[in-house]
Amino acid sequence: MIILVVIAYSLLFIFEFFPLYNQKQWRDLWLTMILGLCSFTLIALLSFGVKIPSPAMPIKNVILSIFGK
Amino acid sequence: MRREQITDKQAICLIIIFYIGSSFILGVDGESKNDAWISGILGMFMAAPMLFMYARILSLFPEKSMFDIFELVFGKTIGKAFILIYIWYSFHLGALVIRNYGEFINTVAMPETPIFITMLVLTVVCMLAVRSGIEVIGRISASVLPILFFIITTVILMSIPKMNFHFIKPILGDGILPVVKGGFSAFSFPFAESVVLMGGFFSLKTKKSPYKVYLIGTVIAGILIIIITLRSIVILGETFTKFYFPTYVAVSMISLGDFIQRIELTVSVVFVFGVFIKSSMCLLVSSKGIAKLFNLQDYRSIVIQVGILMLYFSYTVYDSIMEMKGWAFIVYPYYAFPFQVIFPLIIFMAAEIKVRRNKKGDENSI
Repeated sequence: MIILVVIAYSLLFIFEFFPLYNQKQWRDLWLTMILGLCSFTLIALLSFGVKIPSPAMPIKNVILSIFGK
Repeated sequence: MRREQITDKQAICLIIIFYIGSSFILGVDGESKNDAWISGILGMFMAAPMLFMYARILSLFPEKSMFDIFELVFGKTIGKAFILIYIWYSFHLGALVIRNYGEFINTVAMPETPIFITMLVLTVVCMLAVRSGIEVIGRISASVLPILFFIITTVILMSIPKMNFHFIKPILGDGILPVVKGGFSAFSFPFAESVVLMGGFFSLKTKKSPYKVYLIGTVIAGILIIIITLRSIVILGETFTKFYFPTYVAVSMISLGDFIQRIELTVSVVFVFGVFIKSSMCLLVSSKGIAKLFNLQDYRSIVIQVGILMLYFSYTVYDSIMEMKGWAFIVYPYYAFPFQVIFPLIIFMAAEIKVRRNKKGDENSI
């Protein structure tokens, strides 16, 4: 699974980051790279079977504690 | 850069498909049982003042998106805080819609395919559409809506033999309270969700276009949603709230002359188009918000990364379909209330004051 992820992100790197580098859009490039790093970390964790915490339950608890049910 | 522009007709089609996106399949309300159609009407009327407010904000600042308006009205710092809030809302909403789609396909059509794959396919299409721009999304909406109308009307006509109109009785059998609660649920999902479109309707033609688009779009979509809800009730009766996808189950019962059967696929077609447009708009708005936040030249360079993050978020947001349905009907109306009512109200008041002060300033200088 992780191999697939690495291949997919390598392709993304070639087709997404290089055009921005060539156009010298540094701000866009930095932001895209940071977002890409975040997404790569997330998918790597998911592919190793790590459970990412969801905000759905905390939001539900807050809402129920305010409004009750 | 060339300014993107969509016609009023395209925007109306877009808003109709946006509304029927996920509410068409999930239903508008889980509380008021066979009075859900009244809740739908109530929700539409509750949403009317809010929609006028959204349209007013847009018409005060023509050719500006929601994010430009925040900075113009509140200045850099507070404006950026508002931008952040609406980036989160549109990002979250987009993820929830993608998850609805994933659960639907996983439950009714492809139970053995991993949910991640079905959601990935939708997200890729959304990313391509958003990269092409709002004009393309507008044109897709305008060309697809007649097909969706045809499908919906034909299916309603076909379902007439299965209808039992005594299922809508007793009207208000449990009193008015569940209906009002259901109306609130219908208000926040789907009608007031159109606050997200304030980020996409920077491309309307005239100052009066937002009013026209919001009014006509909401009335048509509202009538459509109410008819669909009524159809599900008169086919399934009170049990219709017990299904995850009542519309799908109601249509699956249609059988004409033993050869027109299994036409529930048509429901999937409508749903898939609806979800595609809705999640594309959410992706577009959150990308535009991020681009505005970081002063990027164009939002297109980050669409793919935001789309991928949205996909991962939608994958991790719920553990099961039970959690999804419970969250959508019990928690979501309260969670979305600040984004749909309180913040727009603050923005509306601040925008009115700002515009009037500017006008006075101009008059004094003359």
